[in-house]
Amino acid sequence: MFKIKNATGGYGKTTIIRDVSIHVNAAEIVALLGRNGVGKSTLMRYATGLIKATSGSVEIAGETAPPSPAKRARLGLGYVPQGRFVFPRMSVTENIAVAAASNGFEAKKTVAAILEDFPLLQPKANDLAGGLSGGQQQVLALARALATRPKILLLDEPTEGVQPSIIDEMAGVLKRINEEHKIAILVAEQNLDFCLSISERAYVMEKGTISIETDRDSLRADKELQQELLGV
Amino acid sequence: MELDFLATVLLSSLSSASILLIATLGLAVVYGLMGVINLAHGEFIMVGAYSALTATQIGLPFLLAIPFAVVTTMIIGAVVELLIIRKLYGRLFDTMLATWGLGMVFNQVAILLFGTVSPGIGMPQWSFKVGDYSLAVYPILMIFVAAVMLAFIYLLMTHTVYGMKARASIQQPQMAQAIGIDSSRVNTMTFAIGSGLAGLAGAILLPIIPATPSMGLFFAVKGFLTVVVAGPVTLTGSALAALGLGGGASVTASFMTSVVGDVFFFLVTAILLWLYPMGISAKWRRKL
Amino acid sequence: MFEKLHKNAGLIFPALATIIALALSGTLNPYLAFVATSWVIFGLLGLSLDVIWGRGGLLSLAQTAFYGLGGYFGAVIAINLAPSSGMTLIWALPSAAVFGALIAVALGYVIFYSRMGELQSTILSYTFTLLLWSVTQTFKLDVGEARIGGDNGLSNIPGIILGFGSEAKKLGPNEAFATVVVVTAAVYFFTRWLMRSNFGKIVDCIRIDIEKTELLGYDIRKYQLLNFAYSGAVAGLSGALFALWANYLNPSIFSVQEALLVPIYVLVGGLGTLAGPFLGALIIGGLSFWLGGGAAGGQTTLILGTTLILLVMFLHNGFLGALDTLWKKFLADPNDAARSAGAVKIDTEVLDSILEEAAAQAGPAKNLSTDEAFKRFGGVIPVNKVSLDFASGRPYSLIGPNGAGKSSFLKTCVGIYRPEGGKILLDKDDITKTAIFERVHKGMGVKNQKPQVFGENTVMENLWIAAFARTRDTVQADKTATRILGMLGMEEQKSVQASALSHGQQQWLDIGMVLCLAPRVVLLDEPAAGMTNEETRELSLLVRTLAKHTTVVVVEHDMEFVRTLEGHVTVLHQGEFFAEGDIETLRANDAVLDIYLGRGEHV
Repeated sequence: MFKIKNATGGYGKTTIIRDVSIHVNAAEIVALLGRNGVGKSTLMRYATGLIKATSGSVEIAGETAPPSPAKRARLGLGYVPQGRFVFPRMSVTENIAVAAASNGFEAKKTVAAILEDFPLLQPKANDLAGGLSGGQQQVLALARALATRPKILLLDEPTEGVQPSIIDEMAGVLKRINEEHKIAILVAEQNLDFCLSISERAYVMEKGTISIETDRDSLRADKELQQELLGV
Repeated sequence: MELDFLATVLLSSLSSASILLIATLGLAVVYGLMGVINLAHGEFIMVGAYSALTATQIGLPFLLAIPFAVVTTMIIGAVVELLIIRKLYGRLFDTMLATWGLGMVFNQVAILLFGTVSPGIGMPQWSFKVGDYSLAVYPILMIFVAAVMLAFIYLLMTHTVYGMKARASIQQPQMAQAIGIDSSRVNTMTFAIGSGLAGLAGAILLPIIPATPSMGLFFAVKGFLTVVVAGPVTLTGSALAALGLGGGASVTASFMTSVVGDVFFFLVTAILLWLYPMGISAKWRRKL
Repeated sequence: MFEKLHKNAGLIFPALATIIALALSGTLNPYLAFVATSWVIFGLLGLSLDVIWGRGGLLSLAQTAFYGLGGYFGAVIAINLAPSSGMTLIWALPSAAVFGALIAVALGYVIFYSRMGELQSTILSYTFTLLLWSVTQTFKLDVGEARIGGDNGLSNIPGIILGFGSEAKKLGPNEAFATVVVVTAAVYFFTRWLMRSNFGKIVDCIRIDIEKTELLGYDIRKYQLLNFAYSGAVAGLSGALFALWANYLNPSIFSVQEALLVPIYVLVGGLGTLAGPFLGALIIGGLSFWLGGGAAGGQTTLILGTTLILLVMFLHNGFLGALDTLWKKFLADPNDAARSAGAVKIDTEVLDSILEEAAAQAGPAKNLSTDEAFKRFGGVIPVNKVSLDFASGRPYSLIGPNGAGKSSFLKTCVGIYRPEGGKILLDKDDITKTAIFERVHKGMGVKNQKPQVFGENTVMENLWIAAFARTRDTVQADKTATRILGMLGMEEQKSVQASALSHGQQQWLDIGMVLCLAPRVVLLDEPAAGMTNEETRELSLLVRTLAKHTTVVVVEHDMEFVRTLEGHVTVLHQGEFFAEGDIETLRANDAVLDIYLGRGEHV
């Protein structure tokens, strides 16, 4: 369904990821694990087209993705970046509406449906996104990505700087949208518990390449790998 | 000092501030939504003025000459964006220099086509009286025009899909692309709208400021300072800055000389930049 | 041969140009000589902008303000002194330069000390020029014989007179041309010398990375201000030359068109090249001259405008920049050596001796402590009343999950963040409100998370500028930089541009620069990020050796690395102190494991 093939890329002259290949099946949730600085975020940005590929390709829903990030979004790639990057001087409603409208969906209906899904955002609907708390912004970034009706959703460190109650809620939401709308999810995380609670399969990255592919149960059982992963 | 004199000063200063605002709005839109300082803005005003003038000369009524000028400048703006501005994204100072070069070209072309002096079109000769003083209607009407333009831009930017896309593109350029916004098309549109607003200014101010090839310069300089003083919340910021700077300069000028008015304008600009290095609206929480 | 020529191109070609101009000056058509004099003067004005823009990084649109003010000031002096003393240059030029410099200092003080943004600085300088433009329209003043008459201008300015006494005659156009060329050449060669001196090197560093330059201990704002003052002096001097050449000044010298013409000279010739503005002024002046003569029916503006657009779009570095790029293609690429870099090998004996020497020069290690340090950003409190003490002996590590406030704590200690409460002490010295560069003088050495190197400069230049910050002595700095270069194993790469190095090599170079400072307290923010396993091992060795001599604080994510440091570990969590001890104790601590694993119930 979603494939990254032999991805090599980075910033300027610096290559950060080398020959990375991963795939996510339809309606599957896959975790991308690894310590800080191993290239998880770079891989995510590679997939969205926000950094130029040195080599390799991306496939979304069976089609080879064009270089333009906007076209990839319309092919069904949703992206929630690390650090959220909501549009700060736009209201919560506008943040969602612009995402829907840019992909040819009816803005009003989408906003109503999404606010239904995220009751947390309802009282804030007319507030500027820049004034929301970190956790609320994270939820909004997720809501915005969902408004593009993605087939595959990329989440980069969704739990970073988010309070535990919202983390739990988020895990619930992700599972629900995965089941209800059959959206495939690739989530890059350092929070192992969060990943174990939602994903069945995981890739582990190390120094810009995939070092291990594993599933939930073996990850749970393997204490040594856990320690290695988190560096604890 | 008499009350009717004060009222006259107040009205004409408000009118001057409005004229400044009308001439500035296009610049504010382009800077606020693209991050581009268009130094050829004054020349776009000039193109608007000549377009309207030409239209009236071939027999179009003035009210129809205005939309003609807007369309002409919008088309020129779109072409300029596609050919030049697009190649210079993210290079603030380079765009400033390139648009300045463009201004020189426009200026010279206008001299070639129209000569250095051209006939003005007569201002509608209505006037009204405030006490002992008589005021022309048309300049006072500009207060209303400025208000309508402000409202129009506000609605365009908040209630249309284009407006939301444009605001998203300047606030988080990469995320805007990542959610499917085709930023380059949005930018072409924004630059065309900014140019169109300049054209509108040139046309609508034609009865007050006759078309000459160098007419834009004066407005462009002051408009440019207004926009930079305004800061990130461009629309409200510019309106307030135009009112304070333009209105203040006009009040000063009516009590002293026009040079003192200019000195007031530049001095207050310098002080405001010193106090608010990122513009007066840097910390405001507003959409536009 | 070609290498040498390329290296000294800025000396040889301008010298040749000067000689040719002087040789021609006698035989030139007088009218052409008269016009060409103005091109040279405009080139000098362009040079003043290149100093502050190409080297200093600030696009100043106030150059014509300094130029005009210098012109008026010099002219007033010349008018009053010429009748009795003859000689105009020795009065007018220095006084105009001093006046220009003073005005630049006043304007620069506002710009640099209020830490204005780039665009705002440019706009403020532009506003300043416009302000003068409107003021001078009505400004009337009589100074002795000189009558400044508002928009009527100032006339009767004597020409260039070289002889002394009341009998001395004004030079003819050809002699005046030669004189202006000589004065200009003198200023150019002095500027070139200045920009290659230690002062110029520091100014270059400020342009490339202002934060890093301050972290090396340079008082950046002082250098920016001095550079602006020099630029103002050159502009003022060229203004006086212009006044003497034109015999007349009026407020149009402060006009918008004049102000914007100067950046064009610089851009056409090549930004940052110093010689470029002269070429630019010559090309544009020459173009206007020939075109104005009828070649294109007077379409000068049209052609200039088009040229400007094309130049900005296609020739980013102007003529000299493009020529330089072309030339370099035929020379050996010094950056080739970057690829042949070997592995870094820390020799503890060498390092020990370097550090002992540093201790002998800079004094013993200093303790760093914080007392209830508190920093907030709106609702977020990244540093919440943290009190910690660090001393030498063994390394200190700060760990904690993402967003725990480790980097913010470090930035607060360095002075990048100003705390709202609490104190920061270096030994007994309260440095809470001390400027960053002064903290560095007091012995703080900092390496930020991302490698901060001066990319345009060579490896050796990077180390040298750091060593010079401490020693203030060229020979000493050479020695220190060479030793550190050797320790990093980068001798082969000494002439490579830092930007050509790999990420890991840049990290090492950055660490090397910190070592050149011989700091008494070293703060390292994630030094192991982006390093290979072997490099991490070497880094661990370096940090342990360093800690024997100085106080070392490391912020790190890589727990494996922290373990090998065998030091004291402090855990921060949500901006607060959470736990401390050695790594084994902390590993046994459930609460610590939990915050790392993010299990909800314990948070």
